[in-house]
Amino acid sequence: MKVLKITQKAILGRIVVLFWAGLLTACGTSNVVIEGSFPTPNINKIPLSVAVYYDDALRDFAYMEYSETGREEINIESGLSHISLFDAVLPAMFDQVISVNSLEDAASQDVDAVFAPAIEEFQLALPAKTKLDVYEVWIKYNMRLLTSEGDYIADWVLTSYGKTPIETFRSVEAGINEAAVVALRDLASSFSLSFAQVPEVRDWLSNL
Amino acid sequence: MNTTKRTMMMKLSASILLIGLFASCTSTTVDEFRQGETGIESDESVVILGRRQASDYETRSEFVECVGDRMQRGDNAISVVPEQVFVDAMFPWFEPRTAPLRTRDLEQLMAEDVVARKMNDFGIRYIVWVDGFTETSGRTGSISCTVGPAGGGCFGFGTWEDDANFDARVWDVGSLRNVGTINADATGQSYLPALVVPIPLIARVEANACSRLATQLKDFVNGS
Repeated sequence: MKVLKITQKAILGRIVVLFWAGLLTACGTSNVVIEGSFPTPNINKIPLSVAVYYDDALRDFAYMEYSETGREEINIESGLSHISLFDAVLPAMFDQVISVNSLEDAASQDVDAVFAPAIEEFQLALPAKTKLDVYEVWIKYNMRLLTSEGDYIADWVLTSYGKTPIETFRSVEAGINEAAVVALRDLASSFSLSFAQVPEVRDWLSNL
Repeated sequence: MNTTKRTMMMKLSASILLIGLFASCTSTTVDEFRQGETGIESDESVVILGRRQASDYETRSEFVECVGDRMQRGDNAISVVPEQVFVDAMFPWFEPRTAPLRTRDLEQLMAEDVVARKMNDFGIRYIVWVDGFTETSGRTGSISCTVGPAGGGCFGFGTWEDDANFDARVWDVGSLRNVGTINADATGQSYLPALVVPIPLIARVEANACSRLATQLKDFVNGS
């Protein structure tokens, strides 16, 4: 009887600990690192040698989603996934692509242009807030194309959008990741297909 | 004797439960609208793609996969290229923003060497665009569950209606024309009675829509 009482106490104690641990976890910020694989585009290559520069703001890009009460809710890290996307897309678009650590490094390279992408804005729409059955991600970019000496060639804005439906047994984090991967694929498709149509780029290409 | 009777009763209960689980009442209507002659050679294949342009819903890739799997089975089976394999190989031409919406757009797309070559490599004869979703409505009833030191249980009753409506447009890659449209509409009422344990009697509307649409598509593409 005594043994039974102790066991019941121990079980009750564990349940209380688990309850508080669950409560504390629920109150914390969840972290989502965007992960996905990106196919190589099937497009005709432009005969150019291009250096690509990813600045720290792009490499370490993270977006924080806040709850309606202003509490930090979800931290989304997408810098590395952007780099792996550009690393898959750029070699399919240009004859030669090299990565440089600074814009100054590009000057010593014998390249036709330097490409420096930047993320300007990131937006997230969660089903719990929009009451729609989809997770949505919008990303706004500033694409910059410079000469190897750092002079301006073109500077244009590109937006990408991705959505994915809610599914039973799929976590919020997995839904956000899926929507972000769709948005990144959207970026790759519009960037690779519209690059030569950007007016400043078109003029520059025609003068080469 | 008693043991045999009990075993039989248990088997019967299990069968009734399984029948309830897997064959809750669903009605399915399939409409076909043919606009051209069809037929497929043994070395040709079909790709089934989900439409993802709508702002408030997406055609689920699981449904597209289900239709493809069923078209590859049984008599007159058709070779189907998996959606993701095709979309990745064709990247970036079949993404939600860049995918052709009309056959005129497909004509322009086929003028691109890289697209025409890949399409030829896959041996694609027909592109089937599946567009639709399943909507749940009329949710009524309530179920409450309690857990206590002596155990737990649920009590109550819930019911809802599911409506799966899917369109399949068939494009002939050879003639660059829309050769027909098939619509599958399945509706069903699901029930969830709970007497200690909840017993789901789910109407499998999407599975039925998938099965009927795949059968009809297979016949349509074979020209029968």
